[in-house]
Amino acid sequence: MSEVIVITSGKGGVGKTTTAANIGIGLAALGKKVVMVDTDIGLRNLDVVLGLENRIVYNLVDVIEGNCRLKQALIRDKRYETLFLLPSAQTRDKTSVTPEQMKKLCEDLENQFEYILLDCPAGIEQGFANAIAGAQKAIVVTTPEVSAIRDADRIIGLLEAHDLRDISLVINKIRPDMVRRGEMMSVEDVSEILAVPLLGIIPDDEHVVIATNQGEAIVGNDSLAGKAFANISRRICGEELPFLELSEKKGFFRKVFGR
Amino acid sequence: MGLFHSGKKPHSGTVAKERLETLLAAERLNCSPQALQMLKNDLTIAAGKYLMIEPDEISVTISQSVPVILTARIPLKRNEDSHVKTL
Repeated sequence: MSEVIVITSGKGGVGKTTTAANIGIGLAALGKKVVMVDTDIGLRNLDVVLGLENRIVYNLVDVIEGNCRLKQALIRDKRYETLFLLPSAQTRDKTSVTPEQMKKLCEDLENQFEYILLDCPAGIEQGFANAIAGAQKAIVVTTPEVSAIRDADRIIGLLEAHDLRDISLVINKIRPDMVRRGEMMSVEDVSEILAVPLLGIIPDDEHVVIATNQGEAIVGNDSLAGKAFANISRRICGEELPFLELSEKKGFFRKVFGR
Repeated sequence: MGLFHSGKKPHSGTVAKERLETLLAAERLNCSPQALQMLKNDLTIAAGKYLMIEPDEISVTISQSVPVILTARIPLKRNEDSHVKTL
């Protein structure tokens, strides 16, 4: 049984690609066979976050147009042998691929992988339509900011309109100190507004920037963000885990969620 | 003046949440806050045609839950004492 999961957000810059990369690595660390597909045609990103940018020969559009076989375009990760990337095309645009073609591609990938993760471009245009076409589940990434939450709400509406109803939420870049002072919406506030099940909460952690700079994984390292990403991957595999205590000093669950 | 207004400004997190709730309620229904105000006015006029109402105390709200429910709270006047009826 394989799962096709799209990672989306509406707004750019909320950490969609970082989340996708670390969920993928986390799943592979659990021994799952995973492929990550960068569906942002024209703006390639996932390769560089994964540190695989120097290995690209063929891409998504090459596969769809039949310039190469699927197997030739898949890049094996340097950390885990069960993790693969299908990179996007840099020199083409969104209209190079149709939702029907994406759906077919996902079906082909389902024969070979347990998890197919689709990194969706920002926006709600054709790139979004392509990314969600073959997906059975969606992970919506947001931050505790009004603009990101508004776009996430819009995206949730669009996903439901496309009959994609298995939706869960990742809240990224939480600053527990600001939440404590009442100057940032809490996890509780955001999940109440968006009204979809919570899959994970990620603190605003400098380790994320450092790892991304180096093309390395955050998941699996000792930072809070690393643990938070690892928990998300485990929850995707069906484990029930409590959400992390993000507040370093005061150390009570309540402090993160309440005021 | 300062003495009676010593309450601090609300925290920006609370402001953000309230702004989003209003905005998203409108966007989810494709109904602008202005349209909601017009609906409220129409409901006031409609109820006022048949009943004695308290026009300043009417509230029209839309729930965040599923199914989404429009609630109009229209207090009515009954002799001296007022009676609250929820439509």
